[in-house]
Amino acid sequence: MKNPLLKRIPRELKDDLGKYIALFLFLTLTIGFVSGFLVADNSMKKAYDNSFEDYDIENGHFILDKKADNELLDYAENEYNIKIYELFCKDKENPDGHIVRLYLPRTDINRLDVMDGELPSSDGEIVLDRLYAENNDISIGDDYTVDDKTFKVTGLVAFSDYSALFKKNTDMMFDANKFTVAVISENDFNSLSEAGLEYEYAWLNNDTSLNDDDQKELADKIMIDLAGKAAEYDNSITDFVARQDNQAIKFTGDDMGGDAVMIHTLLYIVMVVLSFAFAVTTKSTIEQESKVIGTLRASGYTRTELAAHFLAVPLVVTLLGAIAGNIIGYTGMKFIVADMYYHSYSLPTYKTIWNASAFVSTTVVPLIIIFLINLLIICTSLSHTPLQFIRGELSKSRRKRVIKLPNWKFLSRFRTRVILQNIPAFTTLFVGILFASILLMFGLLFSPLLSHFKDQVVDSKFSNYQYVLKAPVPTSTEGAEKYCVTSLINDKDEEITIYGIQNDSEYVNDKSFEPGSIYLSEGYMEKYGFKKGHTLTLQDKYSKEEFDFKIDDKYDYPASLCIFMNMDDFNTMFGKDKDYFSGYFTNEKITDIDETIIASVITEHDLTVMADQLEDSMGRIFPMFGGFAVLIYILMIYLLAKLIIEKNASSISMIKILGYTDQEVSKLYNRATSMVVIGSMLISIPICSLLIKLIYYTMMLEFSGWLTYWIAPWIYPAMFAIGVVCYLVVSVILLKKIKKIPMSQALKNME
Amino acid sequence: MYLQLDNIKKSYGEGENKNEVLKGITCGVEKGHICVLLGPSGSGKSTLLNIIGGIDSADSGSVIINNEKLESYSDKQLTLYRRKHLGYVFQSYNLIPNLTVRENIEVGAYLSDSPLPIDDLIETLGLTKHQHKIPSQLSGGQQQRTAIGRAIIKNPDILLCDEPTGALDYKTSKEILKLIEEVNQKFGNTIIIVTHNDAIKLMADQVIKFRDGNIRKIEMNTNKVPAAELDW
Repeated sequence: MKNPLLKRIPRELKDDLGKYIALFLFLTLTIGFVSGFLVADNSMKKAYDNSFEDYDIENGHFILDKKADNELLDYAENEYNIKIYELFCKDKENPDGHIVRLYLPRTDINRLDVMDGELPSSDGEIVLDRLYAENNDISIGDDYTVDDKTFKVTGLVAFSDYSALFKKNTDMMFDANKFTVAVISENDFNSLSEAGLEYEYAWLNNDTSLNDDDQKELADKIMIDLAGKAAEYDNSITDFVARQDNQAIKFTGDDMGGDAVMIHTLLYIVMVVLSFAFAVTTKSTIEQESKVIGTLRASGYTRTELAAHFLAVPLVVTLLGAIAGNIIGYTGMKFIVADMYYHSYSLPTYKTIWNASAFVSTTVVPLIIIFLINLLIICTSLSHTPLQFIRGELSKSRRKRVIKLPNWKFLSRFRTRVILQNIPAFTTLFVGILFASILLMFGLLFSPLLSHFKDQVVDSKFSNYQYVLKAPVPTSTEGAEKYCVTSLINDKDEEITIYGIQNDSEYVNDKSFEPGSIYLSEGYMEKYGFKKGHTLTLQDKYSKEEFDFKIDDKYDYPASLCIFMNMDDFNTMFGKDKDYFSGYFTNEKITDIDETIIASVITEHDLTVMADQLEDSMGRIFPMFGGFAVLIYILMIYLLAKLIIEKNASSISMIKILGYTDQEVSKLYNRATSMVVIGSMLISIPICSLLIKLIYYTMMLEFSGWLTYWIAPWIYPAMFAIGVVCYLVVSVILLKKIKKIPMSQALKNME
Repeated sequence: MYLQLDNIKKSYGEGENKNEVLKGITCGVEKGHICVLLGPSGSGKSTLLNIIGGIDSADSGSVIINNEKLESYSDKQLTLYRRKHLGYVFQSYNLIPNLTVRENIEVGAYLSDSPLPIDDLIETLGLTKHQHKIPSQLSGGQQQRTAIGRAIIKNPDILLCDEPTGALDYKTSKEILKLIEEVNQKFGNTIIIVTHNDAIKLMADQVIKFRDGNIRKIEMNTNKVPAAELDW
């Protein structure tokens, strides 16, 4: 015979349809989003991983000062069992400040995925990066001008070696708004001026069996050897990037994995919060049905049978939510997530791949979490003897500990009693509110943080223009001040810029640069928690030579991780001539230096590009966090406040008989909830602030560069206001619930 | 004796608050008899019923049923004992609110390998017309009939009834007592009824009178009065 208690399950669901629909929808949305995310993430990651083979992505590249002698290339190919390809490019700056990196059509290495249109078939045609085109509203058929020559856009493509549009490998962030890669015909390429021409060579290893570490080791050998060998041919390496270090290639893959960890964490926290919401409501049902449970236990029902019965509803709802969530994850949500990726990265086309581990994490793991937490709480609730159930003696402390309240007004004492009676429910409510507040703060935090960072960067910039030259040449530009710059790497391969500043600098003038003085940018100090007097060691990326820096103080410069030192000390440390310099700080544009000598010009845009790009690619995610938080607020407040009303239905009915109006009843019961909600928010906000800071610092450690941590002051009242509005929405539903409790209920129970 | 109680003692609380509820109860009940435990509130009769039912334990003394000592049973064995041998009826009916009459009775049937035929039982209970109603649609008497049905469907050796008519009016109480009598005659179960209603003793084979945790008197009833003829 089937257990007749099973028949209760559909009725239970039907009787409390509102609650279960809310839980089901919440589960469906959460699991749908996570499932969609993981499926899209996995499918795109697969497409990305396969792209190395599918599109013959380089094992590394180097840029030479001059076109390479064939003997040099032959030597490298034979010595290291590699095949080298020319990938010459020209960087051209448009009048609007956008940089276009032009390449010739590729057939053997770093091939393109044509996502729309076709490759140039004749002169005067160009294909652009798809994401750059989207960001700038460029479509196929549009005209695009480079160096005063107008091209027709014939296609939008994904460059396999530029899935993240990093202009330079040392940039903190890619820039898909103002930088693009493009392909034009050979004739067009040759007809453009030589300015910005780079002699780039990329290689593929002939031995495809090498693993990542072996490949990197080989690349390091090539780099050191080639640096010396190039000199024999009167040439030099100006840049060398192994695939493993190439941000334009690797950043996307690294970012994908990181998001999956965050999304899993989010899912599991939501599941734990929901488990408690389920468990607290089930515990309340057990208390309300204690006499029935006592009778069943007295009749011979085992604890296991009853526990299985009370576990069924949470598990059924979770299972249904997981199934529905996976369906919408695979059919709808994955497109939203894929769009998010396509909005950040220039990824090739992907195919949806069935993801068994996503199914496990979105279905099996939530079920296990719900099962374990509910099992624990249900078993604890059922641990009483049958007699205790029959007598309703479920609280061991009920008789012993009656908390004496001060001589407050009746209403205050009544509400306090309601709160004391429902401590488990209110504790769950507090945890839910805390979690929702963290999400909400996360959702609200970044946009003002990025704006603040940009303002800070602009305020603290040294000069309007910061020129980096290929060779030290003089200028007569008024106010131009020489400085030195180089870059080293720390033990996390993170690039640190080292500035040599003149002692009486007009531009870097917050501190004096006496010989021996060394300052770290504030962000650098903050990121690694360095203190004054600490000595840090950095190394040259190519020669691996190490340099020590003893910190005197911090310097207020948030734009990048850098070290400022006296210019003479700089030249001594790096073995340069006494008069050596790398470029100029100036507020005027330099016009008397040949363009080919200028390596780069750092403007305001270069300094804020990281914040701009983050805002652009993450801008869609942050409001989702906020929306999600609002859903959790409403759900948790609704579920737990409803539970308190249901638990006290007989008392509410009785005080209605005594003559209390619905509003007065609401003042007693709902006001207690509102006090807890408001209290929870007030307590949550500072806790959130601390936790978010902790999460932020941990997150930024994994991230190259630093964004100053800043919470806009309006966020705190905004969070509070959002929470209160959510509560007001729920309180309307709760008042209706109170109105529905009939006076006959109290009489029935007394019968 | 089918059911034998030997010097059962039970107290609640400690020190000054110690309350001796049972002060050494010794008695026995024959198989198939109706036994009424009679006494005022607080005399210990419900506590004794709960000890017999295995949902409470004695501080000392023995409960022997069919030659088996209950005090040697573990929690699991006690559950099994209740499952196989006992039926329980309480003053408050304790029905499952969202199950119908029939389904509430099935809750009892589930516990037995050979339950009584449910349709016959529902007819015996006089609930055929109401079998698809839920408890809130029933009168108190109908709810108590359902509770008796739930207890009796597994055909327990012993049916324990704790104030089964305590919440019912005179007429309904008599109907319930008639039903209990009918069940006893039809299925031959041993029935123990806890009550403070003196009139009910007349329908019993045996009456055990309680006062302050002691047995005041044990009477064997040679002239049983049918429940239908009881009056109070």
